[in-house]
Amino acid sequence: MKKSIPEKQLFNSIKERDLLGHIVKTSVRYKIWIAILLLFIVFGMYGYYRQIRYGLIVTAMRDYTSWGIYISNFVFFVAVSLVGSLFSSILKLNKNEWAKPLIRISEIIAVAAIICAAVIIIIDMGRPDRFIYVFKFGRIQSPIIWDVIIISTYLVISFILLYISLLPDIAICRDRLTAIPKWKKKLYKIAAINWSNQPEQVIILKKIGRILGITVLPVAFAIHTVTSWLFATTWRPGWDSTNLGPYFVSGAFMVGAAVIIFAMYFVRKYLNLKSYITTTHFDHMGKLLVLLSLVYFYFNINEYLGPAFKMVGVEGEHITELFVGKYAPMYWLVQIFGLVLPIVFLLFKNLRKPVPIVIISSFVILGAWFKRFLIVIPSLQHPYLPIQGVDESYLHYVPTWEEWAITMASFASLLLIITILIKLFPVIPIQELESPAEETSIESKKFKNEIS
Amino acid sequence: MKYLKYLFIRVLKIFTLVVFVFMSTAQIHAQDNVKEDALISLNFTENNNIKTIKATVTNQIGEPVEELDLYFFVKRTFSLLPIGDVFNTTDENGVVEVEFPEDLPASDTEGNVVILVKILESDLYNDLTVETTKKWGVPIPDKEYYQQNERSLWAAAANAPMSLIVSISIMILSVWYVIFYILYKLYKISKIKPYKL
Repeated sequence: MKKSIPEKQLFNSIKERDLLGHIVKTSVRYKIWIAILLLFIVFGMYGYYRQIRYGLIVTAMRDYTSWGIYISNFVFFVAVSLVGSLFSSILKLNKNEWAKPLIRISEIIAVAAIICAAVIIIIDMGRPDRFIYVFKFGRIQSPIIWDVIIISTYLVISFILLYISLLPDIAICRDRLTAIPKWKKKLYKIAAINWSNQPEQVIILKKIGRILGITVLPVAFAIHTVTSWLFATTWRPGWDSTNLGPYFVSGAFMVGAAVIIFAMYFVRKYLNLKSYITTTHFDHMGKLLVLLSLVYFYFNINEYLGPAFKMVGVEGEHITELFVGKYAPMYWLVQIFGLVLPIVFLLFKNLRKPVPIVIISSFVILGAWFKRFLIVIPSLQHPYLPIQGVDESYLHYVPTWEEWAITMASFASLLLIITILIKLFPVIPIQELESPAEETSIESKKFKNEIS
Repeated sequence: MKYLKYLFIRVLKIFTLVVFVFMSTAQIHAQDNVKEDALISLNFTENNNIKTIKATVTNQIGEPVEELDLYFFVKRTFSLLPIGDVFNTTDENGVVEVEFPEDLPASDTEGNVVILVKILESDLYNDLTVETTKKWGVPIPDKEYYQQNERSLWAAAANAPMSLIVSISIMILSVWYVIFYILYKLYKISKIKPYKL
């Protein structure tokens, strides 16, 4: 493809330069970062090639542990994707003005996470070519079908949510960016769908933004509740709980907030956005993370106290394995370093500053990933129904290198999608900051009133 | 000369080895030939809902074969299901009896099951399989049964509970109505032309 970059980019203001500069200029660091991600993806693809070639036998999944790290990773991605609704719906509808610069990042992360969640499910299938059978022969009674429906719906909603918030900014890119390749100009022209800041356009966009902000909330709750029902409706110890829906949703909001802190730290650092994402944002996010962690902590107590107090049969065995058995080190590390200590540390103002909070958030994220491992795998190793001819390999689950390679590739894909979206579009809403839309809509209202 | 001698010894060694291998194989075959064919005759009886398979084993000259293990199976979708005791050994009359389970699902709607009786890895007799079809299984329900079956969570897709279909449909339709409404509005946005001064 022939690249023609005609002239040097001129910006009308410092703000414009700050928020659009990274789209025009491609640094060596960016290229190296993309290359590293692609390297992980290629390695994962080799692992997946082996899985397709030899079957799921290359994984450590057997008759007992039939859902391995692919499914725990899937649950993690679904959880992360909920962050879009946290910002675009909960914080926006509650008029939290401080959260506005973070809405775009949250929507980008939501889109990337839900794409990866959908893909990882297909990767978990031994025969992906039969995926179409889910639609062809699916039974509406099956929670798996509910999950397929809700994931597809949320995927579409996340895209639209991101798109409608981007639309005025895409038009800015179309109108003001000159020193960009032709394909980018074409992309902005098509994606801007004749947006010209007309009062009528602004009114419609604001209206559909509000409608979608309300619609996304039940859908977001449903997506993770249905994911929890995949477990709650399966007859295994640890999953036989009425608490599982809110437990999953609250955990998702917690990890979502941590992911946003993590993302905003690096976006702020590498795109030089210190004046737009300030230490106050980190402070507010820290408080929000404490609140969400406390809710999750409450559901954790609910989840474990009942079965641990009664210690009935296989349920008791499962709890023993988590509390003092072979999964105990992972369990306590996750609960202490991924949940309790972050709550305590983030109560201190000094620890809500960018560097400490990003370290704390990375522990929360790591803890959240391993928590999903602990939800999925130990339960599977205690089936209620006896299985005949149990092979030694059924009793343990240690993921193979192919599984790790594919999982790492899924993370690399998540980061790649986020990076590309950030590179293509302004990561901080420009229109929101300039507020011409607000002014024009008020003007148009005045105009209408005058006529009537 | 020295090399010729070396070559001669080598050839002799290989020749001896070949002869040895040949002799051993021949001996194995000779041993195999010692085994003879047996005959299994099956008799099926049904008294007071107790179904019994009686197998009689005789040799080539019609004498009963004593102390021979027989294996009884019922053909299933993917493999053979063993029935009877762990060891089913013939008595002095060459007879062994096995009770057929009364609750075994059949392979079809007629109640047919394929019963196999086998001689496996016997020292004296060759392997043998006798296969018979009997209407002893519990017939599987036909398509009509499933179609007439009540709506339930465990029914086939066509018989999902109406309340579930209605509630899920309402949820899906309301959310997708909003999605299509928004797409329509985006289309409307694209059609609004800028004012010309």
